[in-house]
Amino acid sequence: MLKLLVVDDEEEICDFLRIFFEERNFKVSTALSGEEALRKVEVEQPDVCLLDIKMPGLDGIQVLKEVKRRYPKIKVIMVTAIETTEKIEEAVRIGADNYITKPLSLEYLEKDVHQKISDVA
Amino acid sequence: MINYPEALKNAAKSMVRFKNPDNLLRMIVRFIAKEIGLTHASILVFDTVRQRYTFIDSRGESKLPVHLIRIDSDHPLILSFMGKGKKPHLYKDALLLSHLEKFVESKESSRGIKIKKVFDSMKSIKASVCVPSFYQGELLGVLILGEKKDRDDFTHEELSFFHTLASDAAMTIKNTEFQSQLIDRNRQLEEKLAEIKRLRKKEQETYFQIMLSLAREVREKDDSTFGHLEAVEKLGLMTAEELGIDLSGKKRDILIAGLRLHDVGKIGIPDSILKKEDKLTPEEWLIMKQHVDKGVKILEPLTDFKDVVEIVRCHHEFYNGKGYPRGLKGSEIPIESSIVSVVDAFHAMISTRCYKKGFSLEYALGELNANSGEQFHPKVVEAFISALKKNMYGYYKSRISEERQIQHEEKPNTI
Repeated sequence: MLKLLVVDDEEEICDFLRIFFEERNFKVSTALSGEEALRKVEVEQPDVCLLDIKMPGLDGIQVLKEVKRRYPKIKVIMVTAIETTEKIEEAVRIGADNYITKPLSLEYLEKDVHQKISDVA
Repeated sequence: MINYPEALKNAAKSMVRFKNPDNLLRMIVRFIAKEIGLTHASILVFDTVRQRYTFIDSRGESKLPVHLIRIDSDHPLILSFMGKGKKPHLYKDALLLSHLEKFVESKESSRGIKIKKVFDSMKSIKASVCVPSFYQGELLGVLILGEKKDRDDFTHEELSFFHTLASDAAMTIKNTEFQSQLIDRNRQLEEKLAEIKRLRKKEQETYFQIMLSLAREVREKDDSTFGHLEAVEKLGLMTAEELGIDLSGKKRDILIAGLRLHDVGKIGIPDSILKKEDKLTPEEWLIMKQHVDKGVKILEPLTDFKDVVEIVRCHHEFYNGKGYPRGLKGSEIPIESSIVSVVDAFHAMISTRCYKKGFSLEYALGELNANSGEQFHPKVVEAFISALKKNMYGYYKSRISEERQIQHEEKPNTI
């Protein structure tokens, strides 16, 4: 069973994705901030991290740097709003393994995302 | 228990208040989530720009992440609301998870697969019921409702309430859209009209300016008397004021234009006739008379100055009906034309031209009086002389006496 860490400062997003992926046989934990994410990464050692770029405090880019520095094996998929796509390039340079943009189409979420996660892992 | 008819009435009232339909939709969602006690109530709205459905709002303890998901127009959930032509669609009023469940279990056909997809999507977005918002066959949005907290089934009354609410909301969305479109279009139209008006006015003014310089050229060509048009204008205005004619607004400009442009048609008369020092032959006289019609033709494109054309058309009509081109008489002739006729004749008489010296002031006034009621309108002659005496008599007297005055015995040419 793949271990997935969902990081987003919006609680509904975390809850939604947790339920969504649990129903598809992932082991999911969530973090509402960059700081919490780093703690959970250390404790839980997830296979894949779904990481929102825009967050108050430590943002997704900073978390990505730290995760990749400490645990290069953990795969990271960035999640970003369409308006902040320019951050994607930076994330990929730092070592992000893939990215998805919000709002995701429901169909994409249902058909492709867990495939993307499995591929990465 | 909720009084649904009452709730609908209130909702309908509030809909009128909302200028922004999003606020209305948020209100509906909040109302449903709270009053009916659902795990969540959310609303999807068609984004006409991106051509897809996005969440406007979600309320309740298991609310959906509105920024995370969108639903594309070709998603099975959306398509399930679209009738496919044959028969009214099964889910036209509402899509119920409990209803789908039976189909999912019982069928493995292609239809069953489609239904399974819809079923899974509804589960993904935690929907127990989806209520479409239609406006004239257009799916504007979908109310996505979670289950009741008490886990009861939705009653028929509740479903019909959601359905009415969703249709009313769609109507409101469309109305606001139409209104803003209408306002937008009206504004654009007004801007265009203003632009056309501005251009037309500019065009008319340009044409008018050309006419004025043309008139000046004609006059110079005709008798090389510098300042004739300016003098005719001054004298004409003076006379009109004396007559008590209304010169407010455009009327003053119209009279001035008539005074300046009355002979513009002479541009089309050969120099051999225009500058002829001897008396004109009857044939030449006929040609000379055409300057009135020619002037009218030149000025006709000036649709903003129709009255000017009329003044020009009538400036050779006689009070007694013996003038040309139409032989109008008395009050049939615009008073402005009568003014042009008097002041032009007067100024022509007192002016020195290449082929004649100017007449004396007394002689000119005598001629006007002698022809009053015949060629000239008596009231205009009277007003003209009275105004001249008040305002400019001294000026003309001294100017004329400076020129070597020669009394002519013959009648002056008053074309």
